[in-house]
Amino acid sequence: MRNEARWGYLLTLPFSLNLLVFFAFPFFFSLYLTFTQWDMFNAPDWIGGRNWSRLIQDASFWYSLRNILLFAAIFVPLQTILALVLAYFLNQSIRGKSFYRMLYFLPVVTPWLAGGTMWGWLLNKTYGMVNYMLTSLSLPPVDWLDSKQWWLPITSVALVNVWKGVGSSMVILLAAIQGVPKDLYEAASLEGANRWSVFWRIVFPLVSPMIFLVLVLSTISAFQAFDVFLVMFDSPNVVPDSKVTPNILIYKDAFLTTKMGYASAMSWALFIVILAVTLVQKRFEKRWVHYE
Amino acid sequence: MKKSLMTAAASLLVVSLTACSTGKTGESSTNPAASGTPQASKAPKEMKLKIGLPGSYDVTKKEIIDGFIAKFPNIKTEIVEAPWGDFATKITTEIAGGTAPDIWFQENAVILGYGSRGVAEDLTPYIKKDLKEADYISGLYAAKASNGKVYGIPHGINPVALAYNKKMFTDAGVPLPTDNWTYQDMIDTAKKLTKDTNGDGKPDQYGFAASVGITQGWYPWARSQGGQVLDESKTKAMFTDPKSIAGIKAWADLVKTGISPDADFLKVAGGEWKAFASNKAAMFFMQYSNQALINKEFASLDYDTVMMPKGADGKRVVPIVTNSWVIFSKAKQDAKDAAWEFLKYYLSEEAQTVLAKSGASIPVQKNAITKLDANANPKNKKAFSEGIAQAGVTTDENPSWQEWRLAAQPIFVDILGQKLAPEEGMKQIQDKVQKVLDQNK
Repeated sequence: MRNEARWGYLLTLPFSLNLLVFFAFPFFFSLYLTFTQWDMFNAPDWIGGRNWSRLIQDASFWYSLRNILLFAAIFVPLQTILALVLAYFLNQSIRGKSFYRMLYFLPVVTPWLAGGTMWGWLLNKTYGMVNYMLTSLSLPPVDWLDSKQWWLPITSVALVNVWKGVGSSMVILLAAIQGVPKDLYEAASLEGANRWSVFWRIVFPLVSPMIFLVLVLSTISAFQAFDVFLVMFDSPNVVPDSKVTPNILIYKDAFLTTKMGYASAMSWALFIVILAVTLVQKRFEKRWVHYE
Repeated sequence: MKKSLMTAAASLLVVSLTACSTGKTGESSTNPAASGTPQASKAPKEMKLKIGLPGSYDVTKKEIIDGFIAKFPNIKTEIVEAPWGDFATKITTEIAGGTAPDIWFQENAVILGYGSRGVAEDLTPYIKKDLKEADYISGLYAAKASNGKVYGIPHGINPVALAYNKKMFTDAGVPLPTDNWTYQDMIDTAKKLTKDTNGDGKPDQYGFAASVGITQGWYPWARSQGGQVLDESKTKAMFTDPKSIAGIKAWADLVKTGISPDADFLKVAGGEWKAFASNKAAMFFMQYSNQALINKEFASLDYDTVMMPKGADGKRVVPIVTNSWVIFSKAKQDAKDAAWEFLKYYLSEEAQTVLAKSGASIPVQKNAITKLDANANPKNKKAFSEGIAQAGVTTDENPSWQEWRLAAQPIFVDILGQKLAPEEGMKQIQDKVQKVLDQNK
């Protein structure tokens, strides 16, 4: 028995070491760093709670949280609903099914730099295609990415992010929908159920665990939005408060001004926010997610 | 989690650093004079040197590095290249891990920060030992900190001058700029050069292309009315000084009154220098290095330069930027010696002449300055070299430059974009910058 245990430990050693060295250690080390000032060259200086009290007074950080909350509030539901609808339709026997599947998945494999640059041009206030179409319909042009109203650029970016991400959520949901047993559909059609009730009574409950997964994953990714903002608002180092996200602030402090302690404090604050939001989602899970 | 993972990885690196650095500190503080550089009489010592090049050979000159390698066969040279954008991140983690190159170059202002953290080797003793001060212009000391230590050697100086498009001036029948111009002269002339040629109610030819950046944009304008950005000690922000506000107001008014194109126009045009070179703007504040691009892509453009205009108080301010070479303080003494050998070669007349001819920046070696190519546009190279001599200043560089500039820049973008009144914007900048300066005391 003892021998077996020894083998067990030995065989899991690579994984355990990986976990300890690359996850557990940095996790606790960065917690320690939140109480220090560290320039990544000299030894960290213990400064107690000063990073945390600075964080509470840091207007830029609160703006970044506000931005990211709005971003998540638009992006997460929109992407999930759209992905579900697309997956449902692409599971039907329609012409050119695989072509459509590819079409919706294409943005996922497009690099952010290319996709973001394209959308930057489309949404340009003076020369963009979107405003050109608006003005030709005699509508006023909109300053999508640079409006004085902070919510407008955030909304634009959230929509672009949906364009980019809907494909991957769709693939997950499509796989789930394809797992719904055929005989359930047959039984439903014998009972005379219409498409709508087939969707709500059969498909939705059966794929709800996957929908929950997609929701949680996209929420987490929304709170960590980084590249989408950098690419859409073109100057990485000079994003104004009205368009900043926590990860951009963390990046700036960690790598451009080498304030690792404060960057760690911001990372932990962000971690706490994500944890809280995920716990709330988890709490509501029982109300609508159906496990067989 | 990607960012936090990177942070984690960086943290890991540092642990290995602290673990192995304890034993080494004694060694790296060896007096450089004692170890000496190879003498001609002695057989040259075998040395290793790792050179970091951000932006690769586009910004340095391959010839200089090749020349060095040929001249010093005893130094085994390894070149590490990385694009400009990634270099800051890469070098930060490498510094933390103690694996940075022995010598590399980066923005001068960042280097002062390296100096205060102890990353950059103090070059004062090396300079004292090996260089004749009279051979160099004062720009050699661009990386001198307030404590008197010199943390870098300029890769070359990049000053700003006023560039003008000759054809647009003659077409409009307006006299060409001179070295005696004031900002007001420039604005008045720019008004005459702004035109709506196709009659759609919007100008399509502008008198001046305003830049939103620090060196060619808000910095010289903030000082144009006698204002300041930071005080002499570089510890107090001066953005709410009425004169600084007046300067920034004049800058923002360029766009407001339509003398200068707005950000959207410039984005489509491809930047100020392209708007200028494609006859869409008659003047702009040109950095010396812009000429390489303009001469390459717009070979037939007829343009020249004069010195930066004089401010309202009669004083001229010529912002200079430079990238500087730093020697890593944790490098082995051997490598430091080799790195200094490289810098000595870099500062020699031979290498500086290559730099002068490249047109990438103004060399700091006096003899090499006379070899600036006067046949290539802009022909009046004196607008730059004289400008440095008369009024060259850095953009108030101090160890926290990177941080306070990052805090101020987005607000300046909003001011020039007419989203924020200059008075209100400058108040916000003052608060933010002062906070940064206080935190870094």
